[in-house]
Amino acid sequence: MSDRLIGKAGKRGDLIKRARGDTPFTDDLALPRMLHGKTLRCPHPHARIVSIDTSKALEIPGVIAVLTGRDLPERFGIIPWTPDEHALAIETARFVGDGVAAVAALDERTAVRGCDAIKVLYEVLPSAVDLDSAITRPEIGLSAKKDDNVSKAVDLAFGDVDGELAGSDVVLDGDYFFEGTAHVPIEPHCTLAQYDASGLLTVWSTTQVPHYLHRELSRVLRLSPTRIRVIQPPLGGAFGGKSEPFGHEFTAAKLAMVTGRPVKFLISREEEFYLHRGRHPMRLHFRLGAKSDGTLTAIDARNQIDGGAYSSFGLVTTYYSGQLLSLPTAARSYRFSSTRYFTNKPACGPKRGHGSVQPRFAFEVMLDRMAEKLKLDPIALRRKNAVGGNTHTINGMRVTSNGNLECLAKVEEASGWKERRGKLGFGRGLGVASSAYISGTNYPIYPNEMAQSSVQLKVDRSGVVTVFNGASEIGQGTDMLMATIVADELGLPLEAIRVVSADSDLCPVDLGAYSSRGTFMNGNACLTAARLVKEKLIAAVAAKLEVPETSVFVTRGALCVRGREGDAVPVEEAIQLAEAKFGALGAVGSYKTPPNLGGEYRGGTIGASPAYSFTAHVAEVKVDVETGVVEVVKVWCAHDCGKALLPTQVIGQIDGSVYMGVAEALFEEHLISPNGLHRGPNLLDYRIPTSLDVPQIHSMFVESLDPEGPHGAKEAGEGPLHSSIPAVANAIYDAVGVRLHALPFSPGRVLEALRQRKA
Amino acid sequence: MTLIPITLTINGDLTQVAVHASQTLLEVLRYELRLIGTKQGCDKGDCGACTVLLDGEPVLGCLTLALSCAGRSVTTVESIPRADPLLESFDCHGAGQCGFCTPGMLMTAKGLLAKEKKPSRDSIRAAISGNLCRCTGYGPIVEAIAAVGEGTVQPATEEKLPPPLPSYGAPRK
Amino acid sequence: MLPLPEFTLHSPRTIDEALGLLAKPGAMIIAGGTDLLPNMKQGLHQPEHVVSLQHLAELRAIRVEQKVLVLGAMTSLAEVAEHEDVRKYATALAEAAGTVGGPHHRRMGTLGGNLCLDTRCRYYNQSQFWRSALGFCLKKDGEVCHVVEGGKKCVAAASNDTAAAAIALEAVLVIRGAQGVRRVAAGEFFVADGARNIAIARDELLVALEVPRVAKRVSAYEKLRRRGAIDFPLLSVAVRLDGSAVEVVVSALAAKPRRINGAQKLAATQVEAIAEAAARECNPMPNIDGDVAWRKQMVRVMVKRALVRAIGAAQPST
Ligand SMILES: Cc1cc2nc3c(=O)[nH]c(=O)nc-3n(C[C@H](O)[C@H](O)[C@H](O)COP(=O)(O)OP(=O)(O)OC[C@H]3O[C@@H](n4cnc5c(N)ncnc54)[C@H](O)[C@@H]3O)c2cc1C
Ligand code: SF4
Ligand code: FES
Ligand code: FES
Repeated sequence: MSDRLIGKAGKRGDLIKRARGDTPFTDDLALPRMLHGKTLRCPHPHARIVSIDTSKALEIPGVIAVLTGRDLPERFGIIPWTPDEHALAIETARFVGDGVAAVAALDERTAVRGCDAIKVLYEVLPSAVDLDSAITRPEIGLSAKKDDNVSKAVDLAFGDVDGELAGSDVVLDGDYFFEGTAHVPIEPHCTLAQYDASGLLTVWSTTQVPHYLHRELSRVLRLSPTRIRVIQPPLGGAFGGKSEPFGHEFTAAKLAMVTGRPVKFLISREEEFYLHRGRHPMRLHFRLGAKSDGTLTAIDARNQIDGGAYSSFGLVTTYYSGQLLSLPTAARSYRFSSTRYFTNKPACGPKRGHGSVQPRFAFEVMLDRMAEKLKLDPIALRRKNAVGGNTHTINGMRVTSNGNLECLAKVEEASGWKERRGKLGFGRGLGVASSAYISGTNYPIYPNEMAQSSVQLKVDRSGVVTVFNGASEIGQGTDMLMATIVADELGLPLEAIRVVSADSDLCPVDLGAYSSRGTFMNGNACLTAARLVKEKLIAAVAAKLEVPETSVFVTRGALCVRGREGDAVPVEEAIQLAEAKFGALGAVGSYKTPPNLGGEYRGGTIGASPAYSFTAHVAEVKVDVETGVVEVVKVWCAHDCGKALLPTQVIGQIDGSVYMGVAEALFEEHLISPNGLHRGPNLLDYRIPTSLDVPQIHSMFVESLDPEGPHGAKEAGEGPLHSSIPAVANAIYDAVGVRLHALPFSPGRVLEALRQRKA
Repeated sequence: MTLIPITLTINGDLTQVAVHASQTLLEVLRYELRLIGTKQGCDKGDCGACTVLLDGEPVLGCLTLALSCAGRSVTTVESIPRADPLLESFDCHGAGQCGFCTPGMLMTAKGLLAKEKKPSRDSIRAAISGNLCRCTGYGPIVEAIAAVGEGTVQPATEEKLPPPLPSYGAPRK
Repeated sequence: MLPLPEFTLHSPRTIDEALGLLAKPGAMIIAGGTDLLPNMKQGLHQPEHVVSLQHLAELRAIRVEQKVLVLGAMTSLAEVAEHEDVRKYATALAEAAGTVGGPHHRRMGTLGGNLCLDTRCRYYNQSQFWRSALGFCLKKDGEVCHVVEGGKKCVAAASNDTAAAAIALEAVLVIRGAQGVRRVAAGEFFVADGARNIAIARDELLVALEVPRVAKRVSAYEKLRRRGAIDFPLLSVAVRLDGSAVEVVVSALAAKPRRINGAQKLAATQVEAIAEAAARECNPMPNIDGDVAWRKQMVRVMVKRALVRAIGAAQPST
């Protein structure tokens, strides 16, 4: 269609309703007779639960029910091979903040009092609250076999790394540390559960994975999935922090079943930091080899990953910490060895750029050092070693569209790189970095051959089309995207499209909002469904006008016949003709990844994706050498999203990713004290930037038109975070000549580095 | 706990509600009066999600005792008409993604625009510095507010209003 | 939500009525509430009676008298920051008020509340759960101090931005009690006890701050913080210049803001020497932030910056 909405700057559609309270978020929901739940949490980093006495709590007027771990004995976990969590700890609690009991009461105040009245006797156990103790004290036994603290280990090698290193002209070593960070969506987690008189359990929850939640609820509650409905209301941000089932989701459901009354759990900001699943702290040792002409010969990476108390997505994280190093700049050989350890801290998981942001920092800083050593421009070094399009990476991942070089060119040009780098005077500098990220994963989390994403369209004879899609609208704009795709295909105005999403009773399955899969997978499913409806409209119009189907086409508002411009049939009429001809109108579309996207080795599918996005950043910083304060003045970011279906949204995702990356570079660290306590589980101590702390962000997109993406689209939500951090690090070097090895680049660290440089 | 009846003006409506001393304005708005447009992000003064206007001034609902609002005028995001230049500007500029900080941002912006007809970008950045946003990086928010001051956004007309999407069936007491 | 503990709220119409209510056991004052309420939500105070100063309009005014500037305790920090006379006669105070929290806190928070702010510590400003996991501390519910091993006295930090400025400007606090009015110099108002660092009884009321108006006096305030807003000071520096005489006050160290003795013997223009003296005399503790070494290094830098600005302001503009 010529006057497509796709590709045009436009509104969000649902923002106004969200903003004015017309669209309820989870905590905005309320049901008659609703109870309020609270979780009692363990005050020790590692403890055996000797006994729990709930009797005093139950005596408090207004306390209706109390649960302990024994009421929900089934283990769960997002990865089917590592279910190691309980809704409430049964025998041992593994970190300060682990849930041990839950109370439902008439109001929140009473629920808190109920928790306070529960007496738990603990036997404190030895604990590992940092990587070092997890590595050196295997006897703490946090692993499943209890003989060490290892959560997952991956060793993979591609090519002759040792040989290549031996034959290199330059070999550099580097040690890096990435302190963990938290997601901090402004909306806290919340769950409302209702168990109705018919025995149907409905759970409204702040989740990015309603489908997995449905499955896990069924398992843990031992309730047939036919008796569970999961609804995900719109989310107030997630960033990966809501992408697995959480204890309170089960306790809310169980308490609703036990009491026969709706139960709501609203998680406090402090508890947010205990639920966590934030970015893993990682200690990275990198070795990089090159020929004097700039050819990269080998990457050798050893990563130690601090996983926190539970497995979460850890298996995948461990792979991602190495698998995604083969794009967009690659060496002739490469290997990585990553080990994730359990520690007695809030569990880490996926945060925007899951597992790959930390090694990207290390690698891109190494590249900057290598460029300097070889007296090459850092952009030129990246160009020389760029992996092209329509190829396979050294670790066997199929790459189709690749806009890496264009991204580099855009930031080079926009930032005035050639004229300005190294010439801004002491204290001011420019740095570059680039990266790649997946557009959805190869396989669903639990092995199956079914579709990863499905969409169902219902076409009403009034001209309204309802999109039923399982995808999770978390603020990124999938609802609007679905509506726009359908509106364009069928020539309808946006206002004729309704979107019903993430309701297990109404919508076909989508696996969730993780690994940047939404636009690619859900978009494709939606496009397929819309095209099926379009075919029927065309067939009906062709039959009516007695013209061949091939001559009928859709424009905004009508179906027309080529060469007979006067014969337009309004879409609404076409719908009615089609309904008369075919019966009730609707269609389903689904998407499943094609086979053979990854390498043929164990783990070769992890990190493989139907398409990859590419990003380049140039950051400009100002360093105050007296205070050590780094100010990121401006960031130029070019991102290859395949095709910007909703440009305003794509730019928003790039802006937001850059913001978050710079925040991690300068401010954020999720610190646990040696005694196992969180250093400051609140928004005063865990500092996320205010409007006075952010750079000017210049976001640009590159459209490489992916052959398999919907209208050529890939992803934009996570990729643009990655290289923002090393770009800042490299800019600091350009500004004041110091290399920072640990994140965040706090003023104290900067000053210390400056002092060492002088010495 | 003793309930004390108070009268206050909320979005222009004279409203009677019985509250107890330890209830905050945020609690009463959200859970008693079901004015759920105002959000809670920390409940202790750190994030600005709960911003409402009290006698025209942006304040934090979570640190305001409901009782102390007796006889005063409270304005929440629900008071903003559908076709409002500020809302329109937020939507056009991509100034909200998840929309969770947006009610607080809007009320802070309303307070600012009532004082300064055409605020500079610096003045906007300062004014919203108590409202945390995790999605946008703030740039589009600053632009959206500036555009209203500069008069470059028209309030949406009925045709220009956003489409009635999505459609959620959600229970609300 | 973080439920507030139960209490009775009183909203007296006169100061005498307020003083009467404050005599009740377990009564506390609420002004703007931006310190009291978060602390109550974290279980740090459980007052039975909360006395609101909301209706005491007489506490809200700023008056310029012949010798002093009188700022009512209920004046909002926003007004202190923006008021032309305050900016002119008490620059450091206006600057300090303008750096408190975010704009909402300055609009709601009052000067009196800021001066009477509870001291802060990373082991104290935490939830009931967190503190119980720690085993509590001297200042509240516990027996030990986690900042100073074996310490018998709380060293929580004066974290109010206006304290250092008030001292540097030789301001006087006007306090009303059952016995009448008393005046305390700001330099004596703050005491070296983190448990309660203000010399005012719980049944007394701070009514105003008087700042002397001195010809040609200039002052400046510098605050060390990580974010541009919503951040308590990691260091707080106020300087005052009367010709070549200089006063430097550094706070956010421990409970009592510190006047830099070494500065008093030096001339204002000896910037480096003054900064050096401050650095020697100030030893930040790990009470409000972990990065003690950085805070220590920053004493010199912040003092220098404040001095340079004040000296600049003292120069007759050409
Ligand atoms: C997120 C956040 C950030 C903040 N950042 C800062 C900051 O950067 N710098 C800073 O200094 N403060 C900061 N604050 C604390 C607070 O906002 C300010 O200190 C404010 O000035 C306190 O004033 P108030 O009127 O709200 O005090 P209240 O909370 O009402 O009272 C504070 C204390 O003073 C007592 N009190 C109040 N008035 C009187 C009086 N007239 N006589 C006797 N006692 C009285 C109260 O009983 C109470 O103990 C912050 C607060 C928050 C929530
Ligand atoms: S200084 Fe010591 S006693 Fe005082 S609040 Fe901190 S830990 Fe507690
Ligand atoms: S909810 Fe009020 S400031 Fe966060
Ligand atoms: S739009 Fe999501 S927090 Fe601001």
